[in-house]
Amino acid sequence: MNELIKNILKNPVFIIAKKEVMDTVRNLWIIFMTIIFAALTVAMSALGAYYFEGWQDLGMTIALMMGVVQLLVPIIALMLGYAAIVGEIAKGSMNMMISLPTSRLEIVFGKILGLGSVLSFTILVGFGSAGIVIGIMVPDVNYIQYLIFIGATMLVGLVYLNVAFFFSTLFKKRSTALGGAIFLWFFFNMILPVILTGIAFAGAAFSDIAAGNAPDWYYLVQLINPMSAYSALVTLNIGSISIATASTAPQLQYPSFYTSGLMVLILLIWIVGFSLLSYWRFSRKDI
Amino acid sequence: MISKTVKCPKCGHETTINGEPGERVILACPKCNTKGKYVFPERHKQVMKTGESIAIEVNKLVKSFNGLRAVDNVSFNVRKGEIFGFLGPNGAGKTTTIKSILGLIHANSGEIKIRGYDIKLNGKEAKKYVGFLPERVAFYDNLTALQNLHFYAEMKNVPKSECKPLIGEMGIGDAVNKKVGEFSKGMQQRLGMARALLGNPPILILDEPSGGLDPRGVALIRNKIKEMKEKGSSVFVSSHILAEIQEVCDRVGIINKGVIVAEDTVDNLRSKLNLKPKLVLELEKTNEKIVKSVQNLDGVENVESIGVMLHVVCDQKAKSKIIVAVEKAGGNIVNIQTMEPSLEEVFMKFTED
Repeated sequence: MNELIKNILKNPVFIIAKKEVMDTVRNLWIIFMTIIFAALTVAMSALGAYYFEGWQDLGMTIALMMGVVQLLVPIIALMLGYAAIVGEIAKGSMNMMISLPTSRLEIVFGKILGLGSVLSFTILVGFGSAGIVIGIMVPDVNYIQYLIFIGATMLVGLVYLNVAFFFSTLFKKRSTALGGAIFLWFFFNMILPVILTGIAFAGAAFSDIAAGNAPDWYYLVQLINPMSAYSALVTLNIGSISIATASTAPQLQYPSFYTSGLMVLILLIWIVGFSLLSYWRFSRKDI
Repeated sequence: MISKTVKCPKCGHETTINGEPGERVILACPKCNTKGKYVFPERHKQVMKTGESIAIEVNKLVKSFNGLRAVDNVSFNVRKGEIFGFLGPNGAGKTTTIKSILGLIHANSGEIKIRGYDIKLNGKEAKKYVGFLPERVAFYDNLTALQNLHFYAEMKNVPKSECKPLIGEMGIGDAVNKKVGEFSKGMQQRLGMARALLGNPPILILDEPSGGLDPRGVALIRNKIKEMKEKGSSVFVSSHILAEIQEVCDRVGIINKGVIVAEDTVDNLRSKLNLKPKLVLELEKTNEKIVKSVQNLDGVENVESIGVMLHVVCDQKAKSKIIVAVEKAGGNIVNIQTMEPSLEEVFMKFTED
């Protein structure tokens, strides 16, 4: 066992991941983002929603936090990933990294592992610490639901991280990669939902959707957006969301193929797919 | 290649060294700096391949960017234990060649081997033997000098204990716990050299090692290069400071417009170009009559009068005639010196259009 641990610690993937963690954590903004997560969660719970008063339990807090998560998590992931490769190339440190006895595959997966760990840790500590505070203030808290929410948020964060990472292997300039990351954020949060609504209009399904009775194909198309898969994953597992949104919109009845397993699989396909694409692009790149 | 762990007789610190059968390695203990030597046993020699006497082998390398050939059919070897200077004007293809050797860019065709290992097929193994100092040195700014070096030591499987003494040897021991982001260009260059020297690599590849350094730093790098040669390492060095190259290199390769135009010792290149030495005469005073008396002699190519100095480019045989002619014309010689053509002159000849 000790030998196995020693071998893991000596593996270039682990060494690169460790360096990424050290280098990123020393950037104070990631600590700042962790505090923001925790503060927002506690504040959401403490102040309550527009409809409720006083401390809300974890399930309700999740429902209230979903919108914030959908905006903030992609931003943090994109900021972490957009310069991962292009930044090092532009600076010159990638020359040195590749001259070391390591392969480009190890560099890509080491970096993804390191940045992914930082992102996951930020989400875990940010939401986790808030969860503990809420747990003290509110009786009978369902921690399992909250852990599912944290896990799902980590997964969707890793999706955006890997997409941004792929962009960082595509461009030659850091500024172009930053532009690409901003575009991605707009694309997933603004453009893609509009396109999907457009498809719904074109398919004459809008009235059905407004009535809470959308056809199956509409739900299938929605899954193109990883954020939809994330929302569905959280909604399928945490009942309180329906309570929070009940008074503002009719409830969507998910079709039977909408399962937690499928949603997790979709998010994993995004993660694995884009990390493989990153390796494919980086392995052909001249530095 | 044989690896051997040796123990310092003074402090007991253990260090792993690499070398070839029969190779004599001079060591300095990273902990207490006690110096010593180790000779690798000869008995392994029969299993060595012939190709292993060459440190770096570049064969018919071609690399194009947007259809333009930056490196065109380049071939050369760097032998074990030699210092090889790689020269060329800006944009000649030096950095492209170095990047190809290290697998930073993908060559269109050709073969590159480091200690017999193909960089394309067995890059990880090949790069184990290399210490590299790039032209543009860069580190992780948020980490300290020591944390940066620890990372590279781990990646090269070198004991971390080597890092601190190496930083000290490069004259930046006071800044060991300072963030690299606060380092000057010169300090980063020194740290870059420390990084290249980690683990006493058998091959050092240095791209413009003196960039951004003060004269003391330049001398330090020069001494380190010589020291590595003494330890048995091969050094591949690209530099614009030709005097420095001339001082340390055993052989040079000159690349121009992507093509190797010369590869030999500096002396042999001088002979090939038939470059004549320069006779420098210091006189009490010079005048027109003395200059003319020298100009008219057979074997004299050029005469230049600078103050009381007379610079004469001439055949070896004309030297005695010049001295006689100067004295006949009334000149009083205070000092005589013969200057061989410099590497700069060789470089200019080989790279002229």
